[in-house]
Parts: sequence; structure tokens; C-alpha cells
Amino acid sequence: MIGFRLSAQKPPEAKRVKDDVVMRFDHVYEVDPALMTEHTPQQDIPAWDTLRIVDSRWEHLAWMHDHFADSVLSGEELLEEIGAEEGTA
Amino acid sequence: MAVAALPDTLVDELVAICGEDHVFTGRSALFNRARVPSPFPKHRWEEFIPQAVVLPTSAEQVSEVVKLANRAGVPVVPRAGGTGLTDGAVPLKHGILVDVKLMDKILEIDVEDRTVTVQPGINMLKLSEQLKPLGFIYPDNPASYPCSLVGGRIGTSGWSLIGGRYGHTRDLVISFEIVLPTGEIIHVGDGGGKKVRKSSSGYQLKHLFMGHQGTLGIVTEATLELVKRPEAEFSAFFAYKNYEDAWKATGDFARSGLATLAGVVLFDEWKVKYLRRDDEAYIPQPDWVNGVVAVAMYGQKDEVRAGAKHLMRIAKENGSHYLGDEISQGDWASRHDRYATPQHGRTRDGQVALMSWHCEDASILYSQLPAVREKWHAVADSLRERFDMFDDWGMFAYTNGAFKSWGDYLTEIDIGIWEMKWDDESWAAWVDAKREIARIAVEHGGSISACHGSCREGEVDLVPLELGGGFEVMKKIKRTLDPKNIMNPGKYLLDQAYEEGGE
Repeated sequence: MIGFRLSAQKPPEAKRVKDDVVMRFDHVYEVDPALMTEHTPQQDIPAWDTLRIVDSRWEHLAWMHDHFADSVLSGEELLEEIGAEEGTA
Repeated sequence: MAVAALPDTLVDELVAICGEDHVFTGRSALFNRARVPSPFPKHRWEEFIPQAVVLPTSAEQVSEVVKLANRAGVPVVPRAGGTGLTDGAVPLKHGILVDVKLMDKILEIDVEDRTVTVQPGINMLKLSEQLKPLGFIYPDNPASYPCSLVGGRIGTSGWSLIGGRYGHTRDLVISFEIVLPTGEIIHVGDGGGKKVRKSSSGYQLKHLFMGHQGTLGIVTEATLELVKRPEAEFSAFFAYKNYEDAWKATGDFARSGLATLAGVVLFDEWKVKYLRRDDEAYIPQPDWVNGVVAVAMYGQKDEVRAGAKHLMRIAKENGSHYLGDEISQGDWASRHDRYATPQHGRTRDGQVALMSWHCEDASILYSQLPAVREKWHAVADSLRERFDMFDDWGMFAYTNGAFKSWGDYLTEIDIGIWEMKWDDESWAAWVDAKREIARIAVEHGGSISACHGSCREGEVDLVPLELGGGFEVMKKIKRTLDPKNIMNPGKYLLDQAYEEGGE
């Protein structure tokens, strides 16, 4: 079992990405804490829990694809093919 | 308002029918079955609780409960997943609530004739999990896919996100067994054969008993289509500078004639603005993105691949901007999340408030979508101006046909509601707004509801206007099949059938 690690508990400082959005981990967005002061106070979430939730989310999406079909086709690959056929790729 | 308890003798009779472990009269069992996810007047919660809950395990038990209710003159309210958005499972006049969740068995899988027969309490996701190892799927796919049940889908005549390819609930349910309001058990379908898809024998009763919101009986068994599991899925999300371009592209895709096309979804600029608040797919989008269109295809790999390539050529020609595989695949896979994800609403000053998701839906012709959109948003804006508890979360329009993608659209406006703020004044304003949204749909040649049903306060007032003489026939059918008005009374204005002879 891995013991206590401060880096696993304390999230990095937030970077502002938009007027009402901040980011602590790459591509993991959060509502600006200033908008969560009156009716819905923010809770402290340890860094490891945020990352666990994000990983679980990706697992869930992969599961949902697999639930409905054996494979998922790529639009990017199809666009490349079309571009090659038209001589624009 | 306290609700009178059922007489002990009646409860004893319910126990004799269903067994001691399957009859509940405690507060938590009753209150938990008082509401559905549609907006609910929490400040009047006690007006809607049942007096007893039973969980039968067979059609015979359901029949005996209904016969007992007729003898005692007590209402019966059927309930499956309780995920409906038009109060079908809400006991408006108390009574006995029949919860079918214990009737969740697969009774037969017929690989030869491609049917699966189930009890009404089974969930579609769980059913498809069982079918997957055999190479099949049951593709009735509402937003509530992980939590709604087959019985409720029949009771509401549900709509499926991939109905353009596989049809909707009415198309995927071949036949079913139903306990009538007087307790008789009958079977309805196309003709008499349980597994027959098309018959010209007799009246087409399947449709009569589909979408009645529990007013005409309780389904106890259903025979469903057993569909070959798709080899391939393709989803693509495209961005546009404005709504007009997105609407035109939607028409291009929907009318493409591609057989594997399962659905096309149009997001308006209010929806994009809402998603930019806290959705990881939309926050990074550039400011010029004001409209989005999503498409989905299913089938054998060879046909999906060819169809998807054709569709991407259409997208190139009409100026659609592909948003990439990550968003296209991820956003499509998350299409069921609205029932499970807490939503972040905003008050007028921008503060976050936990609001419930709600959507008003209608069937709207493609040509009418732009005009209806303007009028519906005006209704939502007016609500928000008067009460800082409503939030306009934008509109989706989904292709609505079965086995085809052109024509009319399931059109919805999503409205966040801070439900802890309800009082009589705000509730009355909400009901007025719903009535206005329904009126706009009817005035534009549409239908009040594509998938939820139209029996809640507000929109239900417009049902006689929409159906005309058909509503008079509804009343006659109701009074004939349910002479004592036992089955889910108070819904669809059908109590009128019992006033002054129902004329």
C-alpha cells in the first residue's frame, strides 16, 4: 500500500483558461471558484480523487462504446482518405 | 395534507396476494415513489404520495391487485423505472402503487425468429448485456437507457436516440401482455401471434395500449425485437458559425438517404453557450462556434464505413467543421448522462446553483424549427426574468422518424430549475410557460410531445386542441375499459370521461 504523499493530496494551483473557468490538471476544467461562493460552496477534493474520477470517466466512455458495437470508426481517418482521393491531403 | 391510510383489511388482502415482503406502507417506500424526474412541486409533496406500494412477481398477482382495487374503489398507479418526464407514474390521487421492478426476468430468447420475451421490470442496458454474448442487442436507447425499464417505455411510447436506424419503442416491441383496468389479462400485438410483426387481422390494439401513461392497464410481459449487434459505430460532431448554417447542415445529413444513419442532433447557440460553462468538450471551443450538429451511424462495418465516408463528403461540401475524434466519440458515448449528472445552473448574477435538469419536448417539422426555437426561448427568458430560479440551457433537435431520418424532429428546450425555491407563484408561472410551449408546438403544426407524453399540468390543457375529435374517442375508450376510473386517475384530463356521462 502506498502511504501518504502530499502531492497526491494537494491539487496544483489553478490556471485561468476563460473568464469563468480554471484548470489545475491538463484538460480537466473547473468552474471559477468565485462563482461558487453564495449557493453552492466548493468542496476540497484531493488530487488523487480528481484523477480517479477523470480516469473512471474514460473507462465509462470506452465501456459504452463497447456496449453498443464491436468497433468505433474514426472520422479523422475518413477525412484523410477523402483528402487523399481528392488530392487535397 | 395527511393522506388517510388504507384500511388494515385491504392491506391484509394485498399481503395475501403479493406476500408480506412485497407490500409496503412505510413513509420512505411511499415518498420515494411519489415523483419522477420532471419538475415537481416539492412544497406540496404530500399531495402525491401513494397509500401502499406493492411489488408483484406475476401477471396473476397484478390482476388480483387490480380486481381488489376495483372492489374497494381505490386507485391503482403503475410504476416501472420512474424516470418518465410527464408524471405518468406519479399517484395524483394516492391509492395503490404497483411497482413492477421485481418482474425483471428474461423469459425466452428465440434466435430463430429473432425475438426476446421479457418481464416489464427489466432495464434495456441490462437486457443488452445479457444479449451481447449471443451477438444481439436491444437498441431502444433513450437518454434514460441505464435506468428506465421496458414496462415504462411501453407506457410512454418512448423515443430512441438511434430510432432512425432501429425504430422507437413502438417499433421494437412486437407484442405484449397487459392487465386491463378491470383485471382481465389480454395479449395485444399485430394480430394474435406473439411474434408476428405485421398483421391485418382485427384492430391494431398494440398502439392503443402504448403511450397511455398507465391509464389503460399494466404491462406484465413483452416480446421484443432481437437485433443483430452492430459491428461498427460511427459518430461525428461538427461546428458552425451560426444556427442557420447548423440547421441547413442538419437537413443535408438527415435527407442523405443513408440507411445506417441512426440519428442527427442539432444544438442551438443557447445550448453551445450553456455547454461552454462546464463541459470539457465545449469549454475549449473557439468563440466562433455557435452551433453544433452530431450524427451517429450503426451497422455492419462495411456499410457503416461506406456510409460514414459519404456523410463526411457531405460535411465537406456544406462547410461543416469536424470537431475531431475525441469529442465526436466521447460526447456520443456520454449521451445518457443527463439522468445521472448533477447540473450546474447559474443565477442571473452568474453564481452556481444546483438546479434540476428538465426538458420540454415536442415533435416539430424541420421547416418550423427556427421559428419555434425563437418563441420557446422567449418563454424561457420571461420565466428567468421573473424568477431567479430558472435557467435556459438551450435546445436540441433530434431526428424523430423511425427507420428514416427526415421529416419531424424531437425538439426540446432544456430548462434548469432550482427546485428548492418552488412556491405556489413560481409553480403557477412554470405551468403557464409549459402551456405556452405546447401551444407554440401545436400552432406550428407539431405535436405537444415526441417522447415524454403530454399529461402534466399546463400542456395537458392543449391535448383536446391537438387531438380534436380524437380526444372524445380517448374518453369513450377510457370509460369503457375502466368503468370505475381505477387505473391512474387524474391523468390526461380523462376524469372528464366520468363527468355527466362523459359527454
